[in-house]
Amino acid sequence: MEKEQKKIPDVMQAETTRRGFLKGAAAAAGGAVALAAVGPAVPKVAKAAEPAENPMYRYLFAERQNCTGCRACEYACSVYHYGVVRPSVAKVHVYKHKSVVDVPVICWHCDDAPCIAACPTTPLAIQKDPKTNGIILNEKICLGAKCLKCVEACPALFIRVNPDTGQPLMCDLCGGDPECVKACLAQSGNPQGPCLMANKLGFGVNQAYRNVTPEEAGEDLLELLFYPNKTGERR
Amino acid sequence: MAAPRGGYFGKILEIDLSKQTAKTRLLTDEECRKYIGGAGMGANLITSKYKAGHDPLAEDSYIFIGVGPLNGTYCVSTRTSFVNMSPYTGLLSHAEVGAHFGNEIKWAGWDGILITGRSKKPVYLFIKDDKVQFRDAKNVWGKDTEEADELMKQEVGDLYARTAVIGPAGENEVPIACVIIERFRAAARTSTGAVMGNKKLKGIAVRGTKAVPVADNKKFYPAAVAAKKLAVEKEAWQGIKRWGTTGLLELKHWVSGSLITKNFQTTWYPDIEYIGAEEANRRFWKRHVACNHCPVHCMKYGVIREGKHAGLIAEGPEYETGGLLGSNLGLSDFAGMMALIEACDAYGLDAISTGGILGFTTECIEKGVLKPADLDGIKPQWGEADPYYELIKKMAYKDGKAGKLLSMGVKKMSEKIGKGSDAWAVHVKGKEIAAHDPRGDKGRAYSYAMGTCGGDHHEGTNPATIARWAMLNSMVMCSFVAGYPLAKETPGVFTAMLNPLCGWNMSDDEYWTTAKRIITLERCFQVREGISAKDDVLPKRLTTEKLPAGPKKDAVFTAEDTKKIHDETYSYFGWDKNGIPTDQTLKTLGIEYLIDDVREARKKL
Repeated sequence: MEKEQKKIPDVMQAETTRRGFLKGAAAAAGGAVALAAVGPAVPKVAKAAEPAENPMYRYLFAERQNCTGCRACEYACSVYHYGVVRPSVAKVHVYKHKSVVDVPVICWHCDDAPCIAACPTTPLAIQKDPKTNGIILNEKICLGAKCLKCVEACPALFIRVNPDTGQPLMCDLCGGDPECVKACLAQSGNPQGPCLMANKLGFGVNQAYRNVTPEEAGEDLLELLFYPNKTGERR
Repeated sequence: MAAPRGGYFGKILEIDLSKQTAKTRLLTDEECRKYIGGAGMGANLITSKYKAGHDPLAEDSYIFIGVGPLNGTYCVSTRTSFVNMSPYTGLLSHAEVGAHFGNEIKWAGWDGILITGRSKKPVYLFIKDDKVQFRDAKNVWGKDTEEADELMKQEVGDLYARTAVIGPAGENEVPIACVIIERFRAAARTSTGAVMGNKKLKGIAVRGTKAVPVADNKKFYPAAVAAKKLAVEKEAWQGIKRWGTTGLLELKHWVSGSLITKNFQTTWYPDIEYIGAEEANRRFWKRHVACNHCPVHCMKYGVIREGKHAGLIAEGPEYETGGLLGSNLGLSDFAGMMALIEACDAYGLDAISTGGILGFTTECIEKGVLKPADLDGIKPQWGEADPYYELIKKMAYKDGKAGKLLSMGVKKMSEKIGKGSDAWAVHVKGKEIAAHDPRGDKGRAYSYAMGTCGGDHHEGTNPATIARWAMLNSMVMCSFVAGYPLAKETPGVFTAMLNPLCGWNMSDDEYWTTAKRIITLERCFQVREGISAKDDVLPKRLTTEKLPAGPKKDAVFTAEDTKKIHDETYSYFGWDKNGIPTDQTLKTLGIEYLIDDVREARKKL
């Protein structure tokens, strides 16, 4: 299992590395699960000579068992949106379950968007950007602390509340090029490979993944990772 | 007397457990720049509050939990520092610990927590931003650290809170009790657990939602990104990333000849292959875990697969825990060793001191100066994990003859036992030393003998690194990320971050002066307690017995070696030949307030 460690991708080259990575990921399609089970999944760094075109990814995916709990995604998210490091307003967050496993909690950008369906205002305070698939909050219309129907409606328990405004924190996918994914890749280079990924398609699995709450996911990870099988093989 | 411009909130939370009050102590920019934070800030707060001969367990004793200016910012791998006068050694001591606890303190808007007083009944603290709750600990008191961590998070109703708790060892005021952060990380070597137990403080849960102010974000952010890039690039540290500090077990056996074995009898331990990184990787590890924003993720969690502890989740073996509770006890039983390590974490015992004490006890039994009857019928033996497990349990509860004897520590045990047992009592200034044998790794002697805390393995390998480490412990950064790999880049990489962050113009010179100030300040505290050159020495075994085998066969730490480390260190920091800081040095460093105390101590020599 222990292959020699591959060269760590350059953090500053995250732009190009991610593109290189996604070329590979496209082949693995929705089966990112399979991708991790094989073991080392550190992408080969393709030094693209041509300038990066504007990427447009419409879905996030989290390979939960690869998360090391470093919270680089929270850092990157809050720096991008607010210019400061402030995990409490990050739109992606890491839940540590029983202090043993880390569960990345992300917006799955559900195709039926229960949060939007629950939004009582007219016009809707939460809308999906048709181009980027990002969830956009209109802070002027949102009723904030006295409503939070969207928080209740989210099956993934993803939506948290901004401690300053009382309004929900929605993932806008950074306009199609999510910062958390880049940060995770820069951080990884570990034997497991990155945890967060971006895709152009949700493959429908996002609709299934979203039904797992962070605590359920934590219990699953405990079961999956920490209970050895009969032959003692490493999973 | 201006308030800090960035990097600090300029506030320390002062907790009085006797009165159950929480107050704010304001910090000035000058104070921050002089002592940085963490270990340095704590040393100043505590030294200025105490007089010589303070009782470390008095009601008015202090625990400082400090963070540095870089905590909570984009900077990589920031940690938490625990500073207090140790009831074990009677000296000022600090312990730095990873995980996310420190950053939550910072995000809650505090540059540190200063705890004093003593509660009448067990309590724990919940700090959420400016709000401080003193909560009844009746449900968590008596629980081990794993249960306490989980219960506290449930009780405060915030699963995103991060905790620091003591185990049964701390509650029973065992002097080697530690604080366990988020279940697996330990601030172990300062007996903070015993002080917290004495104060009836079971633990602290923290959650912060603020952002750290930055004086000049345009300059700070690229500097922090560049520092992170450096940390990621340093190839030499990819080993720590892959195998954690566990990999050092094999390294120190095969290459540097400094893996302690059977209470420092040798450093050659071929059985290391059964308890080292390869074994752990093949049979134990399940996941890599990182501290805050850290690309190195040196922590490894796994699950024990066989034997009576099968199914137990544990962290490690770290180099120190695997050395002290593995090769030091002659174990080749991986599952047994991991159970000992997890027992230390669960009961809240310092694994290093515990291993040192168990090794010493085993040798006492072997040499016939202790009988199993003195240990409630338990007979510890090299390579047998079960008796050690029983002894650890007894130590945590000070249970029976064995528990009472062993929890005294090696120094007091050897004084009590006598019969020449001081020949194999390995401790410095009353504290067991870590898993690097200074006969094989001579640089480590600086850390053990010259470092502030005594017997501590993480205080540098020559005078210049003692200074570097002092700054790391005050900025509270990780030495695996910012210490070892960034030797050449120090201090440039740090001043490049600190200056725009705090609005300073700190030069390289000032950086080193600050480091010397912090080390000298800590030294003044120890000098006040009667420490001088005579105490800056390694134990008898390491200075008289040659290594019998291994890559450093026949090495011994000679009197010349001792003289060398004394001369170099004292002259580097401006201390006299007795290791007492001179008046001139104290003036130059701007800590004149200690001149009288130090003069007083010098007279007593």
